[in-house]
Amino acid sequence: MRLSIIGSGPGGYVAAIRAAQLGAQVTVIEEEEVGGTCLNRGCIPTKSLVASAEVLAKARKSEDFGLDLKGEISPNLTRILARKDRIVSTQVKGVRSLFKSWGITLKEGRGTFISPNDLRVTLKDGSEEQMESDNTIIATGSRPFEVPAFPFDGRSIISSNDALRLDEIPKSILIVGAGIIGCEFACILKEFGSEVTLVELLPRAVATEDIEISELLEREFRKKKIKLIKNMKAERMDIRGDGVHTVLSDGKEIIAEKVLVAVGRAFNTNGIGIEEIGVEKGKHGEIIVNGKMETNISGVYAIGDVVGGLLLAHVASREGIVAVRNMMGNREEIDYSAVPSAIFTSPEIASVGLREQDATARNINIRRGHFQFRALGKAHIIGEIDGLIKIVSDLKTDRVLGVHIIGPHASDLIHEGTLAIRNGLRTKDVSETIHAHPTLSEVLMEAAGDVHGEAIHAPRR
Amino acid sequence: MNPDDLRYHKEHTWVKASGRKVTIGITDYAQDALGDIVYIDLPEVDTDVEVNSEIGEIESTKATSSIISPVSGKVTEVNEDLSESPEVINEDPYGKGWIAIIEVDDASDLDDLMDSTEYTKYVEEEAK
Repeated sequence: MRLSIIGSGPGGYVAAIRAAQLGAQVTVIEEEEVGGTCLNRGCIPTKSLVASAEVLAKARKSEDFGLDLKGEISPNLTRILARKDRIVSTQVKGVRSLFKSWGITLKEGRGTFISPNDLRVTLKDGSEEQMESDNTIIATGSRPFEVPAFPFDGRSIISSNDALRLDEIPKSILIVGAGIIGCEFACILKEFGSEVTLVELLPRAVATEDIEISELLEREFRKKKIKLIKNMKAERMDIRGDGVHTVLSDGKEIIAEKVLVAVGRAFNTNGIGIEEIGVEKGKHGEIIVNGKMETNISGVYAIGDVVGGLLLAHVASREGIVAVRNMMGNREEIDYSAVPSAIFTSPEIASVGLREQDATARNINIRRGHFQFRALGKAHIIGEIDGLIKIVSDLKTDRVLGVHIIGPHASDLIHEGTLAIRNGLRTKDVSETIHAHPTLSEVLMEAAGDVHGEAIHAPRR
Repeated sequence: MNPDDLRYHKEHTWVKASGRKVTIGITDYAQDALGDIVYIDLPEVDTDVEVNSEIGEIESTKATSSIISPVSGKVTEVNEDLSESPEVINEDPYGKGWIAIIEVDDASDLDDLMDSTEYTKYVEEEAK
């Protein structure tokens, strides 16, 4: 089976490796850098900056730990970005060498459909190649959404891509959009010393999360003196000598050195010939697929950000594996019932499954279990006591329906909840499992216990 | 001990009346139960608050707790010093640790609150 994959992000490259493992003859076409957004402009580089900010925050608290750190502790952006570039380059090389080891052909250029089974590849030197395949996966991803009223100029009005290559730390920055990307950059830049203001159209920050998580993050923002303006739209911007003047929907003006616009992602579906072969798109421009990741055109699959839904690297990878299994003769549908998500704010946020507001909307009778990180010895040991965990469970069956965490290492802690939800475990199964002490994972045991009023380190309710 | 010139709410807040403008804070019992206070979310000036409703939050090293308003009215002033030094509440809950000044809608509402003897008894009952 000959498989072509357009795009080598975490959807495309994982699909390529899995297909090669199953015996397919695989070609990956990549116009930019191997690894896509995740490796080059997303997960990996941003988390590298988060890591620098975390060390900085810890160093600033060194006195609390009984250390005498002499001299000024300050971020050196040049070196922080150099570290990030090294990490990215190591990861990219890693994917390239995996391709080599699995006999995957990498064509660096732009892939365009001529017919469902024929692709034209325009290589970087301008030359063209044509290739035939039995199946094709579209894994072209997404890019920062550009607002027509204030397009990116890469210097004053910037995207998350530009924010990864700043020349210096801005004195002040206005971030439009308090979603995942906006809130992550708010925390990073605040720690680095910028004055940060967030403007959000919705009534809360990280609106995709459980309401209690948003509330706690907003309180952390108040503590950090990150200014959050909610229920507000940025109407227009004017770049002047003293910075960008942004007029909000209430008429007020905010002046900041830079503006980061992080209001969503746009799908990369242009210029790859999908209109010509008749691939169906949805109203937001995403490619429509079924549970097997098949488009309406036989032999053409699509995975990752470009199909919309959950724009997460790990979802793209899973979709890639499902697509490959289907084209190799298995029958498998993607299962989105237990998808963890992580936001690398300070503190971190991670969640899986049902939020309380979903349960209310769907009239599902639930119980809740809460637990505060500050009640845990380990949280005090590491000096990170802010945060909470909330478990949502089914009133009748006691099954875990949702786990929502804001606190240190939330992104690592979430997987116990993910496993519980995917396998239909009850809160009793979690609370009666011995958890090592002293660890942060005790929060799961305690919150599961709290569902039945049996948390140990919590006062009687 | 709990000062005699204050009125007390069952959610462990106190009120000091002087005309329609009253000062509020949390009681010594509350600060002791919370332990070391590390952060306070103050109400905003000019907001209308309702008796028995949450007007802010206090974080200690071991718990997070709501501040329940003992009166209805409009917040006219908050103790900004607490933003930087919330531990003042532990040190002086009835003095420098005051939280806000509220202009009450109806001064007779204060009659519904406990006096110091009643509150002291109430706390003793709760501690049992």
